[in-house]
Amino acid sequence: MNRTVFAIGIVIAAAVVGVLFAGLGKDPAVIQSPLIGRSAPTFALQEVGTGRTIDIAQLRGRPLVINFWATWCGPCWEEHPVLVATARRLQPNVQFLGVVFQDQEDKILGFLQQRGTSYPTLVDVKGKTALAYGVGGVPETFFLDANGTIVAKYAGPMDADTLQANLMKAMR
Amino acid sequence: MIFALLLFVATLRVPDAAQFVGAPKGMPVADAQLAARTHEVASLLRCPVCQGMSVADSPSEMAINMKEQVRELLARGYTEEQILKYFELSYGQFVLLRPKFEGVNALVWLLPLFAVVVGVAIVLLKIRKLEQPLPPRAEPEAANDDPYVSRVRELVRGDKQG
Repeated sequence: MNRTVFAIGIVIAAAVVGVLFAGLGKDPAVIQSPLIGRSAPTFALQEVGTGRTIDIAQLRGRPLVINFWATWCGPCWEEHPVLVATARRLQPNVQFLGVVFQDQEDKILGFLQQRGTSYPTLVDVKGKTALAYGVGGVPETFFLDANGTIVAKYAGPMDADTLQANLMKAMR
Repeated sequence: MIFALLLFVATLRVPDAAQFVGAPKGMPVADAQLAARTHEVASLLRCPVCQGMSVADSPSEMAINMKEQVRELLARGYTEEQILKYFELSYGQFVLLRPKFEGVNALVWLLPLFAVVVGVAIVLLKIRKLEQPLPPRAEPEAANDDPYVSRVRELVRGDKQG
């Protein structure tokens, strides 16, 4: 084989292997949120069941956990008890909010009545709030510090340890 | 009652593009042109659910919501650049189907060009090599020649010289 061609082939192969190696261990489904470190987009949405409007701009002064979910989402069912228990334990020092989109109000109410809740659940009509937060699927959870800055985002169902680890970032 | 209802609805608020990219910088798009422009801009955005498809083509509800948002922003006078920036600030560069020419993403644009240049160079070098005259063959030993083969050689030499 021609030595020049062989050398070029080695260089190209090394570059490809290097790129693949750099991605080893990384979950290709995880996309870093560009909102981390920035002020959270503000919104005021209606709470399901009570009809009252909750404005997150008025919730500053303590850490805030915003959990986007839906009743048709299996993993959301898994993490719901973790969120409810943690919210109950940490309130009023930490505020939890659920935001549901692409869903129906009667199904949301049925879910909450059956499985219980300890924090407000808001309805995001047409998913505009989800779009502003860059939500690609559910569940996705955003952690805001007392100043309203997004300090962490987690995509997927959380267990107690994961929730606690992310909460620590918001409580610094 | 109706006034109270209107007042209640008015207090609801969703995040607005203005929080991300400021006021609209273009002219509002309307009517038939709005549908066409919506499709054009939506074709530049990746569906976060069906990641191999554009927002314009994806049937997912998320993509439908994104397309509706694009339509609304165009109707309000936001430019294509502002709309793409808005989604990029929410989702990251991942949402742009046409990667920006900056940082590591520049390789997406440069590598194919580089590959074409290298490929053309290799082909040209090979053609030049093929066009070079072949070195003359050594004459075979006459003692091993079949008389018929010797006669054919004479005739061929004669044709070349002729």
